[in-house]
Amino acid sequence: MLSIKNLHALAGEKQVLKGLDLEVGAGEVHAIMGPNGSGKSTLAQVLAGREGYTVTDGSVTYKGKDLLSLAPEERAREGVFLAFQYPVEIPGVNNVYLLKAGLNAIRKHRGESEMDAFEFLTLVREKMKLMQMSESFLNRGVNEGFSGGEKKRNEILQMAVLEPALALLDETDSGLDIDALRVVSNGVNSLRSPDRAIVLVTHYQRLLDYIEPDHVHVLSDGKIIKSGDKSLALELEKRGYDWVKQEAAA
Amino acid sequence: MSAVGAKSNASPVDRYKAAFDARWQGNDELTALRRAALDQFLSTGFPTQRDEAWKYTNLRRLETRSFTPADASALDAHQPEWLTTTGTRIVLVNGHWLPALSLQTAQPPGVTVLTLKQWLQREPAAVAAYLKEHDQLTGNALEQLNLAFFEDGVVVNLADNAILDAPIYIVHQSTSAAAGCMSHPRVMVRAGRNSRATIIEHYLGANEAEYFTNAVTRLEIAAGGAITHYRGQREAPRAFHIGHIQTKLAKDARYSIHDIQLGASLGRTGITALLEGSGAHAALFGLFTPMGNQHLDAHTRIDHVAPHTTSEEDYRGIAGGKGRGVFNGKIIVRPDAQKIDSRQSSRNLLLSPTAEIDTKPELEIYANDVKCSHGATTGQLDATALFYLRSRGLSESNARALLIRAFAESILSTIGLEPVRAALEKQIDERFKLANEAKA
Repeated sequence: MLSIKNLHALAGEKQVLKGLDLEVGAGEVHAIMGPNGSGKSTLAQVLAGREGYTVTDGSVTYKGKDLLSLAPEERAREGVFLAFQYPVEIPGVNNVYLLKAGLNAIRKHRGESEMDAFEFLTLVREKMKLMQMSESFLNRGVNEGFSGGEKKRNEILQMAVLEPALALLDETDSGLDIDALRVVSNGVNSLRSPDRAIVLVTHYQRLLDYIEPDHVHVLSDGKIIKSGDKSLALELEKRGYDWVKQEAAA
Repeated sequence: MSAVGAKSNASPVDRYKAAFDARWQGNDELTALRRAALDQFLSTGFPTQRDEAWKYTNLRRLETRSFTPADASALDAHQPEWLTTTGTRIVLVNGHWLPALSLQTAQPPGVTVLTLKQWLQREPAAVAAYLKEHDQLTGNALEQLNLAFFEDGVVVNLADNAILDAPIYIVHQSTSAAAGCMSHPRVMVRAGRNSRATIIEHYLGANEAEYFTNAVTRLEIAAGGAITHYRGQREAPRAFHIGHIQTKLAKDARYSIHDIQLGASLGRTGITALLEGSGAHAALFGLFTPMGNQHLDAHTRIDHVAPHTTSEEDYRGIAGGKGRGVFNGKIIVRPDAQKIDSRQSSRNLLLSPTAEIDTKPELEIYANDVKCSHGATTGQLDATALFYLRSRGLSESNARALLIRAFAESILSTIGLEPVRAALEKQIDERFKLANEAKA
């Protein structure tokens, strides 16, 4: 589904990604771990198409298409979803409006008809229940005045409504208490399916207790230096990152 | 009518003198009043940018044009999009009352709504006395010009304790017949003690004509009275629009104005609120959206004459293209006016590198026991918010329009009359091309 080859990218003017390779297949859950500053968030932003990040070399192919040539909204409509590390507060734009506008834009792109109000609300209510969110959130401004945990839940709610083919979760576990972590993880797990890929970017192993990855990668200094299965995450938790770096340097 | 917008060799003010002499002769009291006002205008001419109140708004382009009074016979009845369909509607087309489009409703006891011409026909001496008391030798040159040339308008009288639930909707429509013409409509509202009403003024035109609207609105609110005033300016793209609003508030009177400027090539609203009785409260909300080559100016002056008076002011400007916006908000606290509470906020959004908004808060405080706060910001659309919306599938243009609408919403949401708010929201959306991707 996603094939990243020799990706080099600048964040602003700084070279952050320095030859990253990654293959993600449908139905798989990948965890990308690494110390601060290794390039995890840059990878997520580059894949979502954020301004201010420049790809200087390499390629990203998504479902056979050159992902990097697509505008952010085209990527979203093709099924790429980024759950933000810091979801943006947008006072004056209704949460439910955004959900509906996003969903209809994606459906239109797929050649499907727009959902009617009843169908849409039924879907949203069902997903809100899953995320243990009160319906009062629907008519508030996007993330406006939400707590850290509420914002993360709202991200996963959007993801659950938009049903992407490729979900990128950028530090979704950061700032969550254990109850919120469980709710968010349940939301993500409910989206696991044979035709959907999930990439988790995380600093800590604890998220992986709840969302079990098929593959774990260590990102260091802009490159993936080690890949393994979920046992790699446990080992990182115990031993830290230095031994992997040393092994890679050897 | 004379040649459209033609330049002539006569000096600008002389052209107005010629137009006046052609239109008004006679020696009655009102004509004398008009002539005095004209002389006042002729002696100063149009304000220049050396005048502090007109520092950011250049009237030279207006001054070079020749406008003649609009003809009452050239009216064509074109029904525009009404802001509301309930209440009393008075439609003036090119400055003249058009009964065919107007809607009369039975007024509750104590409420009189007349056209100015009707009042003039019934009580010419009373009109002259009123104008003499309220307008003679006060106001700026353009208000004097209005006094010299006014033909028609609306007069609303509310007796003490009169409560009007349905709005009074005053439409000033300009048609293509207005090309080369000027109109000087007047709206006068006298609200008795503890009376209450909603006044909507709507200036609109949808044509290629170049014309000049120079409107004066006077409100007097007696003790305990409350007036809600909506003012929508959506003149034709080549029009000049200058509006002068002055409201006097007695003890415990309340006034709110919602001043939405969308149209005209050059537009300005000047609002003065005089808080003359303790307990009076004025709230000024405004939105101006210069796009293309538009110049839109919001000039406000809140005068805390009496102690224990309060005011709040929230203005937002959105400028795109080569649009130019101005916000000038003056707050005066007189020497003996203690215990004043006044808040002012001016926020501005620039959508292009060539757009410009000048914002100028001015506080003149001569008393010491006062609370006055003000803040002004000018910025661009939040790039992070834009990316966030696009990452959810919204097109860039729709995401931009959505953020612009969100910025405008804090002003639009102050409009309590639902159909008016909905109509203005729709106009803002059309202006910034918000496609309805999620119609509920």
